Amino acid sequence: MNETPTRAPLRPAAATRRIDPRAFALPLALLALWWLLTAGGWVDTRLIVPPGNVLRVAARTLGDPVFWQGVLFSVARDAGGFAAGALGGVALGSALGASRLAERLIGPSFHTLRQISLFAWLPLLSSWLGYGELSKLVFVALSTLYPVALGTFEGVRGVTLEHLDVARVYRFSRSQLLFRLILPAAAPQIATGLTLGLVYAWVATIGSEFLLANWGNGLGNIIIKGRAAFNVELIIVGMLAIGAIGTSLNRIAARVEARALRWQRPPT
Amino acid sequence: MSASTDDASVFPPRGRGALPQPQLGALLDFARTGVGAVARRVGRAACGLILPAFVLAAWCSAAAHHWVPEQLLPAPASVWQSLRELWAAGDLQSHLGFSASRVAWSLAIGGSGGLLLGFGMGLSRTLRAYLYPSFNVAAQFPVLGWVPLLIIFAGIDEGLKISAISIAVVVPVTINTLKGIANIPPHLLEVSRVYRFSLAQVLWRVVLPAAAPSLFTGLRQAVMQAWLALVFVELLASSEGIGYLIVWGRQLSQPDLVVAGMVVIGAVGVLLDLALRWLESRVQRWRRAAF
Amino acid sequence: MQRRTLATAFSALALLGLTSVPASAEDKPTVIRISFPGAGTGGRPLSGGSFPSNAHLFKEIDDEFKADGIRIEWKFFPGAGPALNESYANGLTDVAFGHGDLPLIVGRATGLKHRIVLSSSRFGSSYFVVPAGSTAKSIADLKGKRLATFKGTAGQLTLYRWLDKYGFSDKDFRVISLDNDSTKAALATNDIDGTNITPFDLQARGIARSILEIRDDPKITRPGTVWVGEEFEAKYPQIVQRIVTRLVKVAYWSTQEANREKELQAWATSGSQAYVDYKKDWESVSDLRTRINPLLDDYYVASLKNSIEETKKYKLIRKDVSIDGWIEPKYLNQALKELKLEDYWPQYDAEGKLKVDGRKLAARN
Repeated sequence: MNETPTRAPLRPAAATRRIDPRAFALPLALLALWWLLTAGGWVDTRLIVPPGNVLRVAARTLGDPVFWQGVLFSVARDAGGFAAGALGGVALGSALGASRLAERLIGPSFHTLRQISLFAWLPLLSSWLGYGELSKLVFVALSTLYPVALGTFEGVRGVTLEHLDVARVYRFSRSQLLFRLILPAAAPQIATGLTLGLVYAWVATIGSEFLLANWGNGLGNIIIKGRAAFNVELIIVGMLAIGAIGTSLNRIAARVEARALRWQRPPT
Repeated sequence: MSASTDDASVFPPRGRGALPQPQLGALLDFARTGVGAVARRVGRAACGLILPAFVLAAWCSAAAHHWVPEQLLPAPASVWQSLRELWAAGDLQSHLGFSASRVAWSLAIGGSGGLLLGFGMGLSRTLRAYLYPSFNVAAQFPVLGWVPLLIIFAGIDEGLKISAISIAVVVPVTINTLKGIANIPPHLLEVSRVYRFSLAQVLWRVVLPAAAPSLFTGLRQAVMQAWLALVFVELLASSEGIGYLIVWGRQLSQPDLVVAGMVVIGAVGVLLDLALRWLESRVQRWRRAAF
Repeated sequence: MQRRTLATAFSALALLGLTSVPASAEDKPTVIRISFPGAGTGGRPLSGGSFPSNAHLFKEIDDEFKADGIRIEWKFFPGAGPALNESYANGLTDVAFGHGDLPLIVGRATGLKHRIVLSSSRFGSSYFVVPAGSTAKSIADLKGKRLATFKGTAGQLTLYRWLDKYGFSDKDFRVISLDNDSTKAALATNDIDGTNITPFDLQARGIARSILEIRDDPKITRPGTVWVGEEFEAKYPQIVQRIVTRLVKVAYWSTQEANREKELQAWATSGSQAYVDYKKDWESVSDLRTRINPLLDDYYVASLKNSIEETKKYKLIRKDVSIDGWIEPKYLNQALKELKLEDYWPQYDAEGKLKVDGRKLAARN
């Protein structure tokens, strides 16, 4: 009766192998328009720079070790904050999911604090911890914590009584219960939470680099320098780098998620 | 054969058998469970308040004992007072109004754009082939990444804020609309074909109701993203709004304004979430009644 | 009997030992944290425009304390004055080189305790700048439009004084808070309609133009301040004296005509103002001692009091601020005496008019 697929066919496996040429129509058209506008001189070329210039600056930037250093720093911040936030999120989510008491005590505050838009924490955080690495890492960790905790919470909640019965029969110890039963059972939702957390972590990394600008290293700093020098090409190159890294992080996360959940048989 | 303890004929419930009138027993039972239910509700709410009360107490003593310098941690009393002063002076309302209008405009623009994109791509194969790949790539792009470029093109005024927030809105709306349309049971569409529904009828009678849950999810996510983007752009550059209030508090070493701003943002977030949930439940109820 | 004499001798020695400890050398800090309320372009850890900047650029303070093994930690804040206040509140700063009047007063109003030991700069020209494409000719033309200033810094009060001078209030405009780099970018893209900034480089690049200029008006600009934290001063008064004396020496060096080019070029390395900006801005200054003046004279005190009144008027502080016990001139006086410069600098009265002229210098070649 219910034939709807459990996963919306937004990523049909077959289509990725054969790329529909129509997919390129829009980007190419936009590119052509862009080139035309700048070549024809119809727009202020200081603001809307010709694509050729962007390519030139991109080539130069990619060869610049300072750029890669900046990328490394940003990614390191992202990874560090994400790791801390993910660990904390899993811990918090498990506690909330497994213990009714914890959920009653901490749950309401957790859900309410979640409503405070992330960036609203930044001014307070930076006035306490300064503009340096620590405040950025803490902010990224905080941004990761919420989605991961939420996903873990829902996953752990979904652990049914039958699961626990099995554990009781086999006389699992506390830690075995957690690691052998609860976490694997909650794995799909935890994975969703982690993927979302990764997205938020990257947004938080870049956002904190903009709002907590200091004389340091990072992609955000490169873009800020571009702004200070009126170098619009550099800003565009920086933007593309941000997007590229964000996309690759998402891809990697999706791959890891699929691999880790491969042992899960589809629900009957 | 043993009887289960649930079997009332074998194991009569305690107390009830003693009463002569079963109606009175039923009444007492109701009172017990009714009161119990209320008590449980109150108890749960009280439980949820324990942690905030504790945090508030810790905050008060931290401020009183200056464990954190008073330039950085405002006393809760001063935050409350600042909120009241802002409200009395009308500043709070005007700043909120600015922020709210930005979000509203962006929801309208980004939301309609997202709906159009979502419906278009969901219902038409051709459109999907042309637009979806580019959209997918652009969607992975964090909204913040657009801001430096938007600053160059749209400036730092309303244009920047509304365009940035609209971009933040378009993505979740489109994605969830697509998901909603993809999840429409195919047999419903077959039925509409049998009855030869016009496009408008298909949309109104079949697609919208079936996709409604996903649309609401999209709306909720969009509001959250919009609020997130709003705070970011207001912190970056603005001359009014809640984010501006926070910047003002920061620059003039008035951390009570900063915390007051955070409180307001959180409160609005909670209210929006509740309002959307209520709206969704109303629509769902109508749906259930229709089916 | 012998034991008692021994015991007495021991206790006498102990007492001697105990009482002799404070008389020995004062302990020294291992590091002195000196902060500038600002940074170069893009957050570069450099600053310019005053003799404390010279002290950093030419490594004077580092030299002073090298022999004692004391390290100097220089801190620069893109968040300007307000960020310096936060750093001090967190206990991460000991000395400030050149704090503006507004953040200084705001800091004191919120309970920060420091001591003013020197003035870092005074007078100077102020310009009102609009984007190159703008048709505005006066501030009245910009009514209701967007003005930029870095809120919480001395620049905010300067802008308010400009508006006041022409009969406007800040409520007649939309005032946006932007830092230096963002202001320049905003001028280039026409996102703001006016601001206070040095215009020469921007004019040369066709980005903006200056429509009004006020030169060395004591009512528009206010002196900068060098302060030390109260705790730091109480613990290490000798160190504070050495810092002040060295700064006065640098100030003296900075007022030598022969060194003008050198310092202008050094200042330009910070990037927040171009060399041509400094050069043109300082062209009208024939005697460098008018602007490079460390004295805590009547003008300085009166300026501070006026600034306090202004911050109260514009409701930028919520608690009153008193000057009592804030200014500590003894270090400056000692330095002037030591370096024999008591009569070197001109002193100004409360109105900003010359009271006592400085020592006559050799004619400028």
